[in-house]
Order: sequence, then C-alpha cells, then structure tokens
Amino acid sequence: MAQCVQSVQEFIQDSFVPLVAALCSEEAERLTRKNNLGFSELVKPFCRLTSEVHMRDPNNQLHVIKNLKIAVNNIITHSPQPGGIRKLLNDVVSVSQPTEGLVTNVITAGDYDLNISDRSVKASVPWYNNWKDTLMELNTSTFYSATTPWFESYRESFLQSMPASDHEFLNHYVACMLVVSSGEPEPVEQFLKLSQEQHRIQHSSEYAYPKWFIPNTLKYYVLLHDVSAGEEQRADSVYEEMKQRYGTQGCYLLKINSRGSNRGADEQIPDPWSQYLQKNSIQTQESYDDGPYTVISNKNADHLISDDLDNDIQDGLSNNFKAHPLQLDHLSDTSSSFDGTDYIKTTSSLHESKKTSSGTPHGACLTLTDHDRIRQFIQEFTFRGLLPHIEKTIRQLNDQLISRKGLSRSLFSATKKWFSGSKVPEKSINELKNTSGLLYPPEAPELQIRKMADLCFLVQHYELAYSCYHTAKKDFLNDQAMLYAAGALEMAAVSAFLQPGAPRPYPAHYMDTAIQTYRDICKNMVLAERCVLLSAEILKSQSKYSDAAALLIRLTSEDSDLRSALLLEQAAHCFINMKSPMVRKFAFHMILAGHRYSKAGQKKHALRCYSQAMQVYKGKGWSLAEDHINFTIGRQSFTLRQLDNAVSAFRHILINDSKQPAAQQGTFLREYLYVYKNVTQLSPDGPLPQLPLPYINNSATRVFFGHDRRPSEGEKQAATHISLDQEYDCESSHQWKELEEQVVAVVNKGIIPSNFQPTQYCLNSYSDNSKFPLAVVEEPVTVEVAFRNPLKVPLLLTDLSLLWKFQPKDFNAKHNGETKELACGNDMIGAEVIAEFLINSEETKMARLKLFPHQTGELHILGVVYNLGTIQGTMMLDGIDPSIGLQAGKFVYNGMSVRGRQELEIQGPRLNNTKEEKTSIKYGPDRRLDPIITEEMPLLEVFFINFPTGLLCGEIRKAYVEFVNVSKCPLTALKVVSKHPEFFTFGGNTAVLTPLSPSASENCSAYKTVVTDSTSVCTALMSSASSVNFGVGTGSQPEVIHVPLPDSVLLPGASVQLPMWLHGPDEEGVHEINFLFYYESIKKHSKMCHRVLRHTAVICTSRSLNVRATVCRSNALEDEGKGDNMLVFVDVENINTSEAGVKEFHIVQVSSNSKHWKLQKAVNLSEDKDCKLASRERGKLCFKAVRCKNSGAKCGVFLQIISSASPCADFFFRSLSSELKRTHTQSNMFHAAAKQPFDEAVRLIQKCSEVDLNIVVLWKAYVVEDNKQLILEGQHHVVLHTVGKEAFSFPQKQESPEMVLLKFFRPENTSVPTRPTSEQLSNLIKTSLHYPESFNHSFHQKSLCLVPVTLLLSNCSEADVDVIIDLRHKTTSPEALEIHGSFTWLGQTQYKRQLKSQEVYSLQLKACFVRTGVYNLGTHRVFAKLADQVTLFETSQQNSMPALIIINNI
Amino acid sequence: MAVCIAVIAKENYPLYIQSITTENELKFHYTVHTSLDVVDEKISAMGKALVDQRELYLGLLYPTEDYKVYGYVTNSKVKFVMVADSSNTALRDNEIHSMFQKLHNSYIDVMCNPFYNPGDCIHSRAFDNMVTSMMMQVC
Repeated sequence: MAQCVQSVQEFIQDSFVPLVAALCSEEAERLTRKNNLGFSELVKPFCRLTSEVHMRDPNNQLHVIKNLKIAVNNIITHSPQPGGIRKLLNDVVSVSQPTEGLVTNVITAGDYDLNISDRSVKASVPWYNNWKDTLMELNTSTFYSATTPWFESYRESFLQSMPASDHEFLNHYVACMLVVSSGEPEPVEQFLKLSQEQHRIQHSSEYAYPKWFIPNTLKYYVLLHDVSAGEEQRADSVYEEMKQRYGTQGCYLLKINSRGSNRGADEQIPDPWSQYLQKNSIQTQESYDDGPYTVISNKNADHLISDDLDNDIQDGLSNNFKAHPLQLDHLSDTSSSFDGTDYIKTTSSLHESKKTSSGTPHGACLTLTDHDRIRQFIQEFTFRGLLPHIEKTIRQLNDQLISRKGLSRSLFSATKKWFSGSKVPEKSINELKNTSGLLYPPEAPELQIRKMADLCFLVQHYELAYSCYHTAKKDFLNDQAMLYAAGALEMAAVSAFLQPGAPRPYPAHYMDTAIQTYRDICKNMVLAERCVLLSAEILKSQSKYSDAAALLIRLTSEDSDLRSALLLEQAAHCFINMKSPMVRKFAFHMILAGHRYSKAGQKKHALRCYSQAMQVYKGKGWSLAEDHINFTIGRQSFTLRQLDNAVSAFRHILINDSKQPAAQQGTFLREYLYVYKNVTQLSPDGPLPQLPLPYINNSATRVFFGHDRRPSEGEKQAATHISLDQEYDCESSHQWKELEEQVVAVVNKGIIPSNFQPTQYCLNSYSDNSKFPLAVVEEPVTVEVAFRNPLKVPLLLTDLSLLWKFQPKDFNAKHNGETKELACGNDMIGAEVIAEFLINSEETKMARLKLFPHQTGELHILGVVYNLGTIQGTMMLDGIDPSIGLQAGKFVYNGMSVRGRQELEIQGPRLNNTKEEKTSIKYGPDRRLDPIITEEMPLLEVFFINFPTGLLCGEIRKAYVEFVNVSKCPLTALKVVSKHPEFFTFGGNTAVLTPLSPSASENCSAYKTVVTDSTSVCTALMSSASSVNFGVGTGSQPEVIHVPLPDSVLLPGASVQLPMWLHGPDEEGVHEINFLFYYESIKKHSKMCHRVLRHTAVICTSRSLNVRATVCRSNALEDEGKGDNMLVFVDVENINTSEAGVKEFHIVQVSSNSKHWKLQKAVNLSEDKDCKLASRERGKLCFKAVRCKNSGAKCGVFLQIISSASPCADFFFRSLSSELKRTHTQSNMFHAAAKQPFDEAVRLIQKCSEVDLNIVVLWKAYVVEDNKQLILEGQHHVVLHTVGKEAFSFPQKQESPEMVLLKFFRPENTSVPTRPTSEQLSNLIKTSLHYPESFNHSFHQKSLCLVPVTLLLSNCSEADVDVIIDLRHKTTSPEALEIHGSFTWLGQTQYKRQLKSQEVYSLQLKACFVRTGVYNLGTHRVFAKLADQVTLFETSQQNSMPALIIINNI
Repeated sequence: MAVCIAVIAKENYPLYIQSITTENELKFHYTVHTSLDVVDEKISAMGKALVDQRELYLGLLYPTEDYKVYGYVTNSKVKFVMVADSSNTALRDNEIHSMFQKLHNSYIDVMCNPFYNPGDCIHSRAFDNMVTSMMMQVC
C-alpha cells in the first residue's frame, strides 16, 4: 500500500463535498480572466474553511463542522462521457510520474531490500494555508514509506469525475452562485437573467444534467468588482440595491484585481493556484484558452456546440475528447492534465497571441488583500448562505419524514407482512435484474431519506447520516431496489467509519455487499470501483492489509486495464506492508500491474513496476521469470526511448545461460538486434558497440604466423610444418623445441645463445606467450577466434574481421625513436574479411581471420568487428522462402543485423614464482595478439617426392626432396635435424652417382653395384671408408645434418631437388619421425636469426628379417704368426608374415666394419650362391674373422654392392652412431662407478673379451604387388661387442615381468672394485693343444706310449701376462681321478712364463699313455695374471674343450 | 496429478522445477515463487519451539483460479511446492501428503549422492523419473 498524504478521514471528507454551481456573466468572467483564471478557478484555493462552523441539527443540537470544504464548479450541461473520463484518468496517471534523482526509499522486507523510488511531490495539497507546511513536512519526514501519487491523483480525479446519478445525491448541486461584474451597464438585470438561466437549466426538461439537490436551489448573488478599473461607488450602490433585493445573506460584493495587470509584477505573491492548476504551463494555457467558450456556453448552449465544433476542426482532435466538458471545467479536477505532445497541436493559430503569455503566473492582478477577500467571501457564503440553507433543508426533510413516518412505516410493514412470505422466494434472477433498474420518482419518500442522509454526510453529521442510511438501506432492500440499496450500504459503512469516537466497528460486510451488488447485479463498475477505493483505504487504515489486497485484486477485470493496473499495484503495496511482508507476492502483483499498465499504454509506469519486481527476482535463480521481466523491461525501455536500459536488459537475457526455448530466444535476439540497431542509428559516429554475442573463448584464441600449408599435389607431398588444424601436443612441442635447440647449438658452436627463443609459429594457451611473438612482413598473421553460440538459434556474423592497431617501426634504423600510431590504412596492414560466418545453435566454431602486414612495426590485435544477425529473423522479416536463400549460398539479411565489436583480451597465466605472487593472484602478460612485424626473411617450402608410407624393417628406399625458397630473400645454412638420423640420408660427401631426378631413378637400385663374375664368390674385398666421410663426425651432434645445397644458397624462387634415402626403422610398427629444417637469411637481422620448418613423416614398417650374430674365438690357431681369429655366426630369419606379398628374401651381401677385424671368408657356404629365405625360414651364415692391422676397414663378402658407398655406409654409420650414443650412456654410468686405479687392470681384462665388429647384412626382397614383382633392398646392422654374446639387428624387447612386487631397497654403493668375471678372465689367454687326433702305438712292443703335444698359448690382451701352466691333475674328486688317472704328463709339470701383448707361445709337452682308449688331453690348467699387478685376478683358465685323442694299439 | 513440482532451497532459489507443459512454465515459476511468501508466513506463524516438532506438510498454501498450490518444508528449510489442477477434485489431502513424502525421500537420495554439491541444481535422473511419475500418476 502506498502511503497517502492525507489521512483516511480527510480523504473521505474531501471526496464528498457540497457542490456549488457558479454561473457567471460574460463581463465577470472577463474580470477574472485578467488573472488567467476562471471564476471557479479563482476561488478554488480558498474553498476550505479554516474555522469551525456550527450548525444545528434537526433535534436542535449543536453540531460542529471542521475543515469543511466546498467545491465551486461552472455549470456544465452535458453529462461526462465515459470515454472522456477514461482519457482524462489516463492522462492524470501518465502525467504523475515518480520524480527522478530523489533519495530512494529502501523498504526492508524479509531478506529483501527494495528500492522504491517513486517518491514525488504531491500536487494536491489540501488547502492554501497549509500547503507550505505540508510540503515541508513531506520533504523532511523520514519515515514515510512508498507513495504512489499517480494513484492518488487517479483516485481524486476518478471520484470527482463520477457522473451524478439518480440514486444518490452526494454530487448534486446544493447551491448556485450567480456572478455579475460591477462594470456591467445593468448588473441587476444581469442577475435576473442569470437567475432565469439557472432556473431554466434546473427545471426545464431540456437539461438532464447537471443534477440539483432540491428543487429550490439556493441562489447566491455575487457582485464582482474590479478595484483597479471600476468605480467603487457604483459598485457599492449596486450592492446596496442587491442587499435590498436579496437580503444581506444572499448577496456579496467581492472586490478583486486591486493591482493593475501591467505593474507590480516584481512583487512576490504566493501563487496558490499553481498547486491546483497544472504545473505544466501548456496545461495552464489550455485551460485558459478554452475558458471563454465555456462561459459563453452557459448563455447559449447552441453556441457552445458550434464553438466546440470549431475547436474540433481547428484542433483536429477527437470529438469525444474535445466535447467532454470535464477537460476544462471540472474545477476540482486538480490534476487534470493532458499529454503534452498531444497538445502541441492544439495550440492553433487562434491562440497564438496567448501562447506567449503561457508563462504568466496566476492571479497577477491580485494582492494579498484580494486573497483575503476571496477567502472572506467563501467563508461568508458558507456561513451565511450555504450552511443555513442546508440546515433548513435537513430540517424540512426531517419534518417531512417524521410526518410521513407513521403512515409509510405502517404501510410498508403491512405490505411486507402481506407479501413477504410469498414474494421474496419467488424472485428470480431476472426479476432481480429488473428491480436493479428500478427507479423511484424523484419525490419518492425513500429518496427523501437518502437525500437527508447525504446532506448530513456532506456537513459531517455522520451519526445522523448513518442512521438515515441505515433506514434507507432497509427500505431499498425491501423494495429490492438493489442499486439504491448498494448506495445506501456503501455510505452507511463509510459514515459508520467516520463517526467520531467510533461507536460501532466498521461494517466491512456492508461494503462487500455493496461492491458485489454494484458489480454483479448493477454491472456498474464505476460505482464498484469507488466503493473499493473507499473500502480499501479504510481497511488499510485499520492495518487489514490482506483484506484490502483481496478487495483490490477482486476488482481487477478485463474492462479497464488502467484501473486493474492501479489496483494491482496498490495490492502489491499492501503485501509488503503486512506484518510479515510478502515480498514475492508484491513482486508478482507488480508484474501483473506492469502488464496491465503496458496494456493501458502507461509505459513509464509499466517499466517502473517491472523494475521494482525485478529487485525481488534478480539473481535468485528464477531465470525464467527473470528473463521474462528483463525482456519486458527491455521492450518498455525501448518504447520509452531509454535505449541504454533496453540494451542492457536485453543483453542480460542473452548473456545468461538462458533456459528459454529456441523460439523465445529467437525473439529475444531479434528484439535485441532491433533495439541495438536503433541505438546505433542514433549515434552513427560513436564507437562501435560491444556486442554480447556470440561468446568468445578468449584463452582458446590461437595465432598462427605464416602461410597456410600448401596441399600435397600428386606424388609431391608438402612438409607438414605446422598449422592451425593440428591439435596442441605437449610432448611433440617439447620435442620440436629440443630439436631446435640442438640445431641452434650446432650453429652456434655448441652453445645455445642466451637470447634464444624457440620459434613459435602457432601460439595458443599452452605456448609461452610472455614475449612478443615475431611475424614477418608480407606473411599473413592468422588469428583463430573461438566463438560459441549459447543460444538455441543460429547466429549469423557477417563482414567479420579483426580490429587492430599498428605502429610502424623500422627495426634497423635505431635512431628513429618516434613512432607514429596508426590505427588504419590498408597499405600497412591488409585485413581479410569473412563475408559470412554462421554459428549454429549451441555450437562452438572457430573463425580464422587473417592480417597481412605490409610494413614492419608493432601490431596489436584488439578484437573482432562484425555484423551480428540472425537467419530466422531475416526469414520472418522478409517472408522469403528460406530455401531460396540457402540455395544461393547467401543468407539474406537486411535490417536485422548490427555492427559491433568484441574485444579480445587474453589473460596470461597465473604467476606463482615469488612469495608475493603466490599469496596474491597475479597474472602474467599474454602477448599472443601483439606480434612484432620484422623485415623480410626467407621462406622455405619442402616437398617430398616418392615418399613411401610403408617400409619393411631395414628397407632402403630412395625418395627426393624438393626445397623451394618462396620468399624474396636468399636462403642459406639449410640444415635438418631429427631424432632419428638413422632413418634418412642425403648421401655422403662421396660422389653422388645416383640420378638427380626422381623420374630417372624409378627402377634403379638404391645401391651402387659393381659387376663381378660369379666365380669370385668367396673373395673378400676390402675397402676403407671412414665415418668422417659420411658426415658423422665424432664430436658433433649426429642428429644435425647439413643439407648439401648446391652453392649452399637457395635464391629467391629457386628450387632444388635432392635425393634422399630412407631406411626403414628396425622395429615394426608406425613411426612418426620429426624433421626440423633450419635455415637462415643471408642478411643477419636483429630480431629473427633463423627460421625453421617442421615435417612429421609417418612410416609404417613391417617385419622383414631378424639378424642375430654371435662371435666366438676359434680354437684353431691356423696362421700361427697372426694369432687371433674368430668365428662369426650370422643367423638370419625371415620373420615377415608375408602380408605385404613378400615372397622371399635374398641375402645379397654381408659386410663388416671394424677397426681390428675383418671378415675373411664364409665358412659354411651352401651350394646356393644366394642365400634365399622364404617365409619363416632361417639361414645361418658363418664367417671367419681375422684381426687386421689397418683400422676403419670395411669388408664385404659376396661382393656385389659397394657397401662403402653412399646410402649403405650412410645408414650404417648413422645407426652406429645412434647405437654408440645408446651404449655410451650405459658405459658412462659404469665408468663413473669404477674409477679406482686397479680398474685399469679390469679394463684391460675386459678388453680381451671385447670385439668391435659390426656386421652389415644387405638383402633383397622379392615382393609381388599388383601382379608386379618388385625388388626391395635393405640392410640390417649388427653390432658385436663381446665374444660369445649374441647380438641382434634390433633391440630385443624385454619381456617385462607382468607383476612384480614393488621392492624398496637402498641401492648398494657399487664402488666396490668390480672383479672381472671369470668369463672375462678366461678370455685373457687363449690356449690350444696341437696333437695328432689318433695315435697308433704298439703296446706289445712298448708298454708306454709317448705322444708329443704342443700347447699354444696366446695372449689376447694388450698387456703382459704372467702365465702359470699347471699340468698336475687336480685330485679334487675321485671321479675325476678315475677319468684322468689313465694318462700322465711327462716332464716338467709346471711352467711359468710371461707373455707379451699378443704374443703366441708354444710349449712342447709329452703325454704318456699306458693303454689304448680315448683320452681327454685338456686337463691342464692355466693361470694368468697381469704382469704388473701383484696377485690379483689370478685365476685359472677354463678347462678348455675336451681335447680327445685316440690311442690305438697296433 | 500434479502439474508442477518444485524444490526450493533454503535461500529461496529454485533447486529443481519441473512442470508438465512447457508453455505455461513461466506462469508456474511465478506461481511457485509467489507461494514462497505463504510458506514463509506459515513457518513464521509457528513459534520457535514448535518449529522442531511441526508437521512438515503445510497443506494447501493458496488456491488460484485454475490451480491449487501445496507446500511442504523440510527441517532444513528446503521447500517442496506442488501445483495441482484445481479441477482434480479426487485429489485428497493425505494423497498429497504421501506424494510429498515420496518426494522428500527421493530428495534425500539425491542429497546422499556424494557427487552432489549441496546447493546446486538437482540433475538426477532418478529424481526426474520420480517427479515425472508423480505428475503422470492418475492423470
């Protein structure tokens, strides 16, 4: 409930006041016009009596009347039109708006704080004397709650515009003032004329309106005298005449206009009229303008009509509205106002002169004395004229009633008795309806009671009024005159409430009945509304808020939106004023009220209601409701041209994840766009607005520098490089970074420069964005923006492009410090525009936008700019068949798109290094979008021709690489780096004999071959090739490979094709091999030193051969002088599963590489020249290796292929170096552990068992593919390290134990001197026995058989070795004794020798046998120790292989 | 049976709201929201001491032209509001009561889910099914 300024009692009293008609002569009206006022207006501020009045009631008791107010109105002879009233009320409400900028009222209700800022200064303040005080009080009081002045204005206007009806007399005229000016030639005549006029109006049947209280209306004669113009004497004399004629009580001389209109304007005089007339100057003028016509109309109704018609024509306003007299003359209609805009038209040319005076204040000719005179006049009139008249009338009515009572009462009761039994139940609804229209004749006795009651009510005699109403009510009810009864009930209730001291409680049920009757039976909503307004106010004053709310809500109906809105709003206010405030009900009813307001065209009020309701719904999760309110607020704001509010409200709907259905969202979006369009049209030059849609995932923004990848064409396959299509992979990016670091280190002689920054072509949220990225001039910068459409309707972005700022800068000229800041200019930066970009509902879509920098400088990418539109919207707007638009590939959009922008602001990573950063939340910079444009750099493109996708393990395939320099800058220092250097080669430094073009090489073997005759199968050929020749330097990183460009420069536009051999990795499966091409410009730049190009090759390998090799010492010492030789066993197994159509493998050649060894010849060569291996076959090759002197030898068996030439050797050395690297790390660990002095010895011993023999197996595979036989070639490498240990061509997979218990142990310190194993020691000395295999001896002749045996001792180590040979049998076990006891060594049983390095020593021994048999001669034991060591590692050599001898007896 | 079922958090924001038709959804939201006033009133009408022993079922909150709104408040002040068609005269008070109890049990199940964060909107299929069944029942 809104608080009223007036109390309830005041409100009701003021609602029902005695009405006095005023009839003015033309001249009199002219006098008052001098003050810009009509007569009725003139007296209006003084119509409340400031002093108490006494009156005697019919029982002759003194009755005190306080604060009596009367209303003086001009006579209007038309009854008000309902349409006119509606219009008037509408205007009243729309004019009364909450003032802005005032302190808002905060009502705390529950957990809600409501800001209700509808405080406004009440215009209608009771009476002049108090108005100032009231205002002061109003402004200073702190505890008043929300006011709704529009409601009060409405109520006031509504009550005063109530048409007079026949069933009640409250707004019938009690008296009539006849006003004549003293300046008229015949004032007395004029009085007579006016009197006749009044009589005519009241009694002739011509006029049904206005209504008069009683037939003989009080006439009061007023002589208006203009002090400044008229003669005082004449006035006095006329007044004297009047007094004689009408009595002193019936006439009055009112002197006004003491001040000339032209002077004294400087004197400040309070203007009480402004409170009653309109604050709005147009209003004032209007009422002023139209005044004369009404005055004239009083004289001649016809004239009035014609004049009104004139007005209508002139004003072009609706007849209905214009003809309605309330608009002008209803004096008490204080707030009557008209929409200013409508009225601008009405000030037609006729009134132009007056228009200038619109600002003139009222009462310009009136001094304060005049004010007092007017007040005096009203008082006099009331005291002397009106009240005595009323008193008399009441008395008369009372007498009439009493005299009639006996008769009528008995009559009534008699009839009642007679008929009640049968009559009442018979009444049907139809009859009720009929009776509701029942009309009493004007002089009916029932009406006389009512009349008296009304009069008593008007003079505040509520007790008497109540009893009269009560009586009347009974009578009316008896007659079933429902309208009359309801009226009586209503007033009875009101007067009961107003009775001083409240002897009886307020009969709310009277009111309820009255309302129901009015509404349902009489169908008179106006009366019902009045009743509700009164009752609600009374209930509120008694704190019965819920009853009041129910009452108010009950009256809302379809027939009047304005009324419903106002009542709902009041009901809403009731809810928050309850003891436990019902905020949500308040909000809900506010929404209903807002809805009704908007239907009634009260947009501002509607907006206010919704805004207030919003406070309750906001942020509480009631999203559906919130969206609805926001939408309505947006719409209302828009219609009120509060575009900013509208935009923000709509924005709110779209931004929040709305749960609305798609259609609803579509509507929201369309409205939003429409509103936005209007906003932008208002300020076309303003900055582009920020659009809320679609969402941009800022951190997902990616920036890519460089051109798009060129697609592969045919056999030409472009380097994959890097593109936006690739997903970020942390591991691979780390690998690339490592590769780049490697190559940079190589270029910079092993040191990575401190300012090194890995090249980043693609920046994303994972990359290091703390430094400004570098972009090259004339190369595009692509920004990928991640748009997300949160709505269920598709969004169409058109003309999408980037927004940027550019500072040109020349990086080479350092003196040029100043920088110009330029935001535009396509000569510097070219921007690509995406014409159309459609984002479907709830879709995330990337847009790639390009910029082409044409100058060096600093670029800042600020955001994106686009037109936002919908497809649906355009379809609906245009009515075009959607399929047409889609077929054309062009979405038609017209009005429904708005140009706007969105910023791209990327937050950097959160800093977490220092303590301060850890405790606070700080974010680092992200410079993804601020690239520096540097000067030209070469740009390399690499294509691979005939690059295979599948290979056999170890297969050698030839492909070509094309290098193209697409820039305008020469390119140099081209290098390639890869983690797998063994995978490819560009050929060594040795002469390149392969054809340079790929086409010529198609059927050519990858290997260089020599034609040999088949006889030389077993010849071994030796050639020397050093690893240095193949680019595998010992110190440098083997991964970095220099690309042999001709002249080592690639000129702009030039292209070079180079052969490239690929070697299938040894392991089967899919291999991803990363190549990083590194190149530099010829010129050195400050910003960018080098560029890189990436390529990832994917190779799928399938199994081919498995090569295993073992080496062992041969026991034979054939060439005694040379000493050392070994046997090499090479097991080759075809493990190909022949899926690839591989028929068979041929071992073409086995080559070896070693510093000390060479393969000499095949031992067990089969008959077949080629060693063929079909699927799952295994072949064994056995070679003899001899020690050779020249190091770095490479030997081949089955020589057909020059294995020391380019691809073969390349791959061999590559794989070797990678192998070395692998073992290096292992041995490093080992060496670090053992650094003790005696480790030298250990090493020596170990060395004996080491061989560094590398075997290269070259093979051919016959493959059938598409009915074509292909020959594939390949090679496998086996690295042999240790004697007797099996080595494989590819690392064996270690079968990891499936599940092991996790053991926790402290690793033992392994620094204890590692003793060489016995096996290693056994390799120190090689022994062999030479003896005849069988020995014939005649035991008959000689019982002892002596057999000479030579023991050859060969020192395998590099150091001197002391050797002890013990021939004594070891009598450890009886078993052994049994075996060995059969023969004995003769002669010295123990020898001690020192063997020099590699020395071979032969010892002649004699064995003695006593009988025939097979003997094992290997019983000797050999102890060896390093000569310079003391007793360490003295250990026995192995009991070498059984050396069997057969002793035969002849 | 019910046309709209809502679970409202202690702080009066919706945890779950489901209505039988989508076109009237907004209206139901408003209805449910407004009913919270009555719930508040009913709770505050009881004395502090009585609050603990009170009946959780609040009964009919208020009737509108087309619907009847029933309320139920758990001890943790979570409110269940059920809107039923007022034309459905067969619906008796104890049936409503048992429906609320079923709803309460289902709600407790949701709360017991360790992955449910108290105060979040309820996204539980079991609860959905429960509510749907209650809206379908006897219709």
